[in-house]
Amino acid sequence: MAEYRLLTRDIGTEGLQTLPVYERKGGYQALRTALKERTPDEIVEQVKLSGLRGRGGAGFPTGTKWSFLPRDIFPRYLCINADESEPACFKDRYLIDENPHQLIEGILIAAYALQVRHAFLYIRGEYHDQRLLLERCVEEARRAGYVGERILGTDFVCDIIVHGGAGAYICGEETALIDSLEGYRGQPRLKPPFPAVKGLYGKPTVVNNVETLSNLPHIVGNGGEWFKAIGAERSTGTRLWCCSGHIERPGCYEMELGSPIRELFEEHCGGVWKGRALKAFQPGGGSMQVLLPEHLDLPLDMDAVMKAGSSLGAGAMMFMDETTCLVNVSMRLVDFYHHESCGKCAPCREGTYFESKLMHKLEAGVATLDELGTLADICANMDGKCFCPLGDTATWFVMSAYRAFREEFEAHCGAEGCPVAREHRPLLAGHA
Amino acid sequence: MTDATPPSPPDDGRVEITIDGRVHRAPKGQLVLDAATDVGVHIPIYCAHPKMDPVAVCRMCLVQVEKMPKLQPACATYVSEGMVVHTQTGPVATAREGVLEFLLLNHPLDCPVCDRGGECDLQDFTVRYGPETSRMPITDKVHFDKAVPLSDRIELDQERCILCWRCVRYYDEITGEKEIVLQERGVRTSVATFDGRPLRSAFQGNLPEVCPVGALTHRQYRFVARPWDLQRARSICPECSYGCNINIDSREYEVRRFASRDNPLVDDMWLCDRGRYSAPRWNRTERVRRAAVRTAGGEQEVTIEHALREAGRRLREVRDQHGANAIGVLGSVECTNEEAWLLQRVARDALGTSHLDHQLEAFPGLSPEEHALGIAEIEDCSAVVVLGSRPEQQAPVLTLRLHKAQRKRGTAVHRLPSEVDDATVRGITGQRLVGVIADESDRARAAHVAQLLGAGNTEVRRLTVTRGVNGRGCKDVGLLPNLLPGYRPAPGAGRCGTEILEATSAGQIRALLIMGSHPWAAGAGVALTGALNAADLVVAIETVPGPVSHAATVLIPGHTHVEKAGSVTNLEGRVQRIRAALPPATAAPSELRVLAILAAELGCESWPAETIAVHREIAAALPAYAAAGNGGRAGWLVPTQ
Amino acid sequence: MLAAQTRAEIERARQRYPSPRSAILPSLWAVQNELSWLPPEAMAEVAELLGIVPSEVQAVATFYSMYFKHPPGRHHVLVCVQAACALRGADETVAYIERRLGCPSGSTTADGMFTWESTIECLGACGGAPMMQVDHHFEENLTPERIDAILARVAAEPATHHGPGG
Repeated sequence: MAEYRLLTRDIGTEGLQTLPVYERKGGYQALRTALKERTPDEIVEQVKLSGLRGRGGAGFPTGTKWSFLPRDIFPRYLCINADESEPACFKDRYLIDENPHQLIEGILIAAYALQVRHAFLYIRGEYHDQRLLLERCVEEARRAGYVGERILGTDFVCDIIVHGGAGAYICGEETALIDSLEGYRGQPRLKPPFPAVKGLYGKPTVVNNVETLSNLPHIVGNGGEWFKAIGAERSTGTRLWCCSGHIERPGCYEMELGSPIRELFEEHCGGVWKGRALKAFQPGGGSMQVLLPEHLDLPLDMDAVMKAGSSLGAGAMMFMDETTCLVNVSMRLVDFYHHESCGKCAPCREGTYFESKLMHKLEAGVATLDELGTLADICANMDGKCFCPLGDTATWFVMSAYRAFREEFEAHCGAEGCPVAREHRPLLAGHA
Repeated sequence: MTDATPPSPPDDGRVEITIDGRVHRAPKGQLVLDAATDVGVHIPIYCAHPKMDPVAVCRMCLVQVEKMPKLQPACATYVSEGMVVHTQTGPVATAREGVLEFLLLNHPLDCPVCDRGGECDLQDFTVRYGPETSRMPITDKVHFDKAVPLSDRIELDQERCILCWRCVRYYDEITGEKEIVLQERGVRTSVATFDGRPLRSAFQGNLPEVCPVGALTHRQYRFVARPWDLQRARSICPECSYGCNINIDSREYEVRRFASRDNPLVDDMWLCDRGRYSAPRWNRTERVRRAAVRTAGGEQEVTIEHALREAGRRLREVRDQHGANAIGVLGSVECTNEEAWLLQRVARDALGTSHLDHQLEAFPGLSPEEHALGIAEIEDCSAVVVLGSRPEQQAPVLTLRLHKAQRKRGTAVHRLPSEVDDATVRGITGQRLVGVIADESDRARAAHVAQLLGAGNTEVRRLTVTRGVNGRGCKDVGLLPNLLPGYRPAPGAGRCGTEILEATSAGQIRALLIMGSHPWAAGAGVALTGALNAADLVVAIETVPGPVSHAATVLIPGHTHVEKAGSVTNLEGRVQRIRAALPPATAAPSELRVLAILAAELGCESWPAETIAVHREIAAALPAYAAAGNGGRAGWLVPTQ
Repeated sequence: MLAAQTRAEIERARQRYPSPRSAILPSLWAVQNELSWLPPEAMAEVAELLGIVPSEVQAVATFYSMYFKHPPGRHHVLVCVQAACALRGADETVAYIERRLGCPSGSTTADGMFTWESTIECLGACGGAPMMQVDHHFEENLTPERIDAILARVAAEPATHHGPGG
């Protein structure tokens, strides 16, 4: 198990973002196979067989998600979640920037399998250039007969509508995405009913992530059985890892699932920069719990990492060297959730505010030990009590860091400034 | 083969649920919150509202449900077979305390100067379930605008707001006007109007009642009273014939506010602003307080006994000299059923005149069919035709019922001009039940439209918006020239209100007995002035000074709507009680006793003079009223002989 | 108040969706492209074009962070200070830009050229940290020299769009 370039295989090819080059690389052949040689149900079966799990964060089996759609209610809708906003995640942007037609082909295959005529691609507002690129590529595909009426001469009809967000992390939550797409404030909906039953415009809806859908041309082209052989038993295929922080070579790397984290960290990322030691890392993105150097030998396997108390989430890896203040990092993540709380439910709206106030005091070294206790208490009162996972996850990193670096947190109390920064002042900054 | 499946219990549409050890068969589709209420378990709520869809945003109602990993909001969790719910466990108590800490985090805690103090769910639940102190320094609180006038009626305190979404949902689900929305997000979220523009809704007054805290308050009630200083009387809104149930809250002999009193069959807990904010008019200090007799020598204050004796003597004189039909009797739509009943008896039985009415206009061909459609039945209609804008102008809360029927039951509401052409009406398709709603002046058009719609097996029912709080009851009990109690045709050619005044001016009618001219006096204009000038005798029972009291030969003080008890009948025939909220502004006996004494002066002894006794007499005469009891609809059949 | 072109763009957006309300975000982008921000009158006009109530447009417009409720400068600079960028010196980047532009985060330079702010919201370029967006284009691996060059280049360009429009 090692680097495995599946979704990124052709990346680097000059002009891959244009249709002719994508086609020359074998692009849209899988769509042709799907439309001409497979029934929609056969594709659903292949996807189930492949073991593909969602790449958006929750890791739910894609084929199973698809099979929740009631069989006889039409129209149905497909939403593509390109609202990537999880701190430290940038793989969807990378896939869009580098291989947009692969995504469009994946969307069309999913739309065919699910018998959907309208696919809405919801892309975060900040991905402005990516949105323009996708719009251009959809038009290119339309002119070539891949999008629109009678696709490839078959009865299959599908339009892809690229919909730009306007700056709201919560719209990555699938029901909030649907509310936003319908023209409301993007706030999560009560479940049930689940989107599969009553989603966009009250119709059965599937919401899939960019990376998830980018896998489909490969699954259809090579078969579910073939795909299943890649990766680990319950985490099949590859994933793109967004590597950031104190490493020599930050960037996006595709690895087979099941490979050791250490391989990603040492061989691709080049280890910790400036010859320093690793203090901690956060897999999965801003929501997930902190892991320690001893966890580097864990496999990149969703279940294994979950057992260690964290998650592979949306495929991020943020590495922190020995000079890092975990209180400072926690503070920034808490601030993020405070900034992005939609305000719908009281524990998240008020809790993230109080959390943020306490974290700023703590990082400034003016909090008391009692207030540190209050912080833990507040987090406990939020976790599991909020309307949607945003409020719950707003507590996960800070609480895991507090558990793992208790002394460091306590040392901040009454320290009149950040004790870690004091020790490492010249080292903390990137441009030391 | 043997059938191994045990017999399944009969499906009675219910599931078994256990809440805090209490086993209950709850109807399928019921929310845990409502099931808890049914078994007597209290669950605190803020965002949940009995008239609105669940949103589960405040998280106050979190409860423990066995086999579910997280606490669940009772307001949005539906009962299921075998569900076991706990509301009194440690995790639930911790969650409640936690949520209250969050809700109070940025709340100003200005209860001492808050109008809601004493009837505030945030106060009450904090005392019951909340933390003892605030752990966030007061200096960290987020500040918003306080005392923002949203209109001339409503004030918003954004700091007190706990963002339960009720006002937003009220404007979305109940009125459909969407005047208040949420803006910004996260901790900066607030409720607001577009660009800060004033509210224009005719139903703003419901907002402070919808609000669970003191964020939305009545400007009229600002700093006026504490709830524990208020005395409450259950009554009916006096402003129109819709019959909204209200509480009249008074303090120190003044009405301070009208509050809603949910009757799902009538108001569904909503009042219109015209009704709600009419409260101060009952505090008028300009009142008729003492009995008086006017002679050539001028006006003289007398005792009630003297006044009634004088009234009886003078009325007998007119009857003896000119005949009974030289006397006209005029009540008003503000008479209770009991008053209207006795007044028509005075006219018919004691005086013997056929000229009596409760308003100015004539009502030819009046029948109870015009009131067949019930308010709540609007929701059962596949389509409803509303003729003209007057029905909703006169009975505004009707608009909300129409909106509810539209939103929840898919009722097609057709608002048509009252002079609508037949082709348009024929174009309306409806199954089962179709409603036609019009006001009194469009009775004939409504009958025609109903006839056009009533083809095939579609049933058409009409609802006529009567005028005044008891215009309907006055008709039912026969305070009409052409109809006896129960819509039986009256003998003789009685004159309607306008005709009585005209005949008085013309000298054909010589004496008037008037009770409560206020609702129609202004509209009568010169006809009234002419009649008062020409009449030999005016006996008046009046509450406020006006042309009638100034011209009265014998004047007896009357009681206002908020000073008397009795029953009134709303436009759909619902017989509802009003109760005295204020002590009377006069020492005079009730109108019922006044009429009974007057009857005695006219030779009819032993009439009932207590509300209950008069009501029994009505019930005995009108089976529909006996069946209606208190709060039911008088279900009229076409009168039988 | 909106230009015919903007109104036409809103109408095209309206046609794209099964429900006109879905066109709110694209419509607001079109307005911001034309006017550089969202005045209340424009929101009311959008509401009219989409057949909804103005308050609903306001509710949506204020929910999202990228719409301007006040007129911004000619160019917009957004610097990420979320953890992954902070680990690689985002605080220094912010300090440098503040010195360079001479006004604090969240404000506009005196000449109206730049509105800039630091944001805790991850902009999705952690592999190129520290980073910023200038008029919605990604600028990664920032150094003081690169920042100087970018700002000088942008200042010479005309104010273009303020959202993902045309």
